[in-house]
Amino acid sequence: MGREAFVRGVGAVSSLGLDWPSTAAALARGESAIARVEHFDIEGFPCQVAAAVRGIAEGVEDRRREFALRAAREAWGRAQLSASPERVGVFIGAESGRASFSTVLALAQAAGGGARFDHEAFGQRARELAPRIDAAAVSPAAVASMLAGEIGARGPCETLSLACSSGAAAIAEGVRAIRRGEVDVALCGGVGADVDPLMLAGFGLLGALSARGVSCPFDAHRDGFVVGEGAAMMVLSAERGDAVASVAGVGRSLDAWHLTAPDPEGEGAATAMRAALREARIEAVDFVQAHGTSTQLNDEVEARALRRVLGARLAEAHVSSVKGALGHWIAGAGALGFLCAVHALERDEVLPTAGLRNPDPRCELPHVQGQALRKRVGSALVNAFAFGGANTSLVVVRA
Amino acid sequence: MRPVAVIAASAVTARGLGWRGLGRAVRAGDRAATLCKGLGGVLAAQVPSLPAAQDVEPRQLKLMSRGARLSCVAARSLFLESPALPREETGFFLGVGASGGTVKELEAMLDASFSEDRFDLGRFGTSGLGACNPLFAFQLMNNYTLCHAAIREGLRGPNAAIFSRGSGTVLALAEAHHAVAAGDCEVALGGGADSALHPVTWAELRREAGEGVVPGEGAALLALAAPEHARPLGFLERCEVHPGRQGLELALESARRSLQAMSPECVVLTATPNRREAARELATSACPEAIFEASTLFGESLAASAVLATVAALDLLQEGEVCRTAVLVMGPDGDVGLVGLAREVAS
Repeated sequence: MGREAFVRGVGAVSSLGLDWPSTAAALARGESAIARVEHFDIEGFPCQVAAAVRGIAEGVEDRRREFALRAAREAWGRAQLSASPERVGVFIGAESGRASFSTVLALAQAAGGGARFDHEAFGQRARELAPRIDAAAVSPAAVASMLAGEIGARGPCETLSLACSSGAAAIAEGVRAIRRGEVDVALCGGVGADVDPLMLAGFGLLGALSARGVSCPFDAHRDGFVVGEGAAMMVLSAERGDAVASVAGVGRSLDAWHLTAPDPEGEGAATAMRAALREARIEAVDFVQAHGTSTQLNDEVEARALRRVLGARLAEAHVSSVKGALGHWIAGAGALGFLCAVHALERDEVLPTAGLRNPDPRCELPHVQGQALRKRVGSALVNAFAFGGANTSLVVVRA
Repeated sequence: MRPVAVIAASAVTARGLGWRGLGRAVRAGDRAATLCKGLGGVLAAQVPSLPAAQDVEPRQLKLMSRGARLSCVAARSLFLESPALPREETGFFLGVGASGGTVKELEAMLDASFSEDRFDLGRFGTSGLGACNPLFAFQLMNNYTLCHAAIREGLRGPNAAIFSRGSGTVLALAEAHHAVAAGDCEVALGGGADSALHPVTWAELRREAGEGVVPGEGAALLALAAPEHARPLGFLERCEVHPGRQGLELALESARRSLQAMSPECVVLTATPNRREAARELATSACPEAIFEASTLFGESLAASAVLATVAALDLLQEGEVCRTAVLVMGPDGDVGLVGLAREVAS
């Protein structure tokens, strides 16, 4: 397997706190950040709530970079590592990359003012339009590139664009790079800043968002996910230092089934989980940080896959989903889940699934409801399953 | 890096479907750009109409960005040409670009959102959303460039969609290589797909790439397997990225050392106009006699550029022109990517 990847520092920006300790403390109390969107006119949108970050990056066009920078500084500061810049890599899950809302407006104006998109007018005015497009806001890679500059990394710099699986896939890439000896230190993580009109419109039109405006993974009354945003970052190192946790297993698979719906048997999800457990050389875990989106089908399929993979050993574990409290961070989701797993190992505290009141019998799992649960955690499984059927599972163990 | 075998390849380019003959065309300095109506009549290396057997079904088109469609075509083409390739556990690692959504959908949405020539967010919520395709979100998500093709071809193995404006696709090839070398899968597909013909992408590219840039589009894939494979087309010996963020000179210097160590008999390069001179100088340092510019044929195809140049280099190997070739990638991301291919594995 090669070298181990130890977790040396973590950091986060969320709608419950502007660092990881305050976020984790609020999560442990069972708090939820989901509220009506206030920073733009939400009238007419299919879902009018979100877990938006307040207090920083307000009015900034590319909020991803603000969130990611703050979280990365926290993680890097906690890690207290020194390494040759060539041996430090950056692996980030970031989606966006679409035209920002203001870019779309600029585009429309350059193409004739909105009555119709005039291709000829656009062709003539494209040069004039170009300076108005913020390249960094359009490019997913801008986040990783900025973070590499911030910490002075000169090793590999990768941006994973795998939708809801991006953050977990980025951690997987960082772990692999350490194992292969390509880097000694990897800044990994994910960021999502999708509480914006285009993405709320897009997901709303798909019918994926909660019409009730409630995120309640595995609950009988769940009716869709709620968009959240934030950044979760971690520093992995080949050197143990004072690390409590290390990444022991990585599993990736594709459903090859459907654009939005998971394979109903959960075979793709199960394949990723099994691969991660096999690599970690364990058959059971004490805690599962589920993908748990609060959509009808995803939660049911994930529960089924977990029961199939862990079998009778599932009874020894506990399962929760952070999306009940912080919504779905899309590209940042897997990285946030990873932080919850590391928290469980470091603090022997399993964070609860906020919003879960009436567990769906079809999602029968050893849930953690209400407040955090104190228990000894020696290993944890983290799931991240993306739209389109790209699955990533990670196993974290006590170092 | 232990070499792995290239056992199949596919490409969709401005010359149509197929990778054979691309090396010769690149070497000859062929051009394929035509006037692109969608960009107001600029010259662009655009993919022509595609045969129905490879193209996506018409009802699927509304779900896809252009890059996703091209990725599907390249994957279908690969499996039609190499039907014995396994699918179920095959890995899939793709360099993907930013999916901007089709202009038609943006147009419909914006059109319904204007009030007296001003964009109105209230109207956007009440009317704009209803005017566009409910599946619009799929066009905006970059991972669908990978997922559409995976669903269409039944690929279920390890995977990654790596954002790319040049060197990310070299990383995708490297990941496919590692997946095979580490035994994660028996066969892994590596490649990239993208289109620079989206108006936003084009506007951005025009600013960053320098005068004379020709926007392009395309997709290409390499199927990789263990080096013991019975009938390899060639061997992938090297995939590396020299980051340009600490300054281009540093990146060029470390790339120069690698390139010289590779001892290529020719260099196929793809570079934006503002980096072409530096790229040629770098290529000359390792192989002054045989430098072929892939971007002349393919245009700047962003996430597709590196792998289009790579399949052209593979074609040169197959034609028996050379035994060892390097691909040099200097796209708008500012990095320097290198791919090394050889006809035989050094014993």
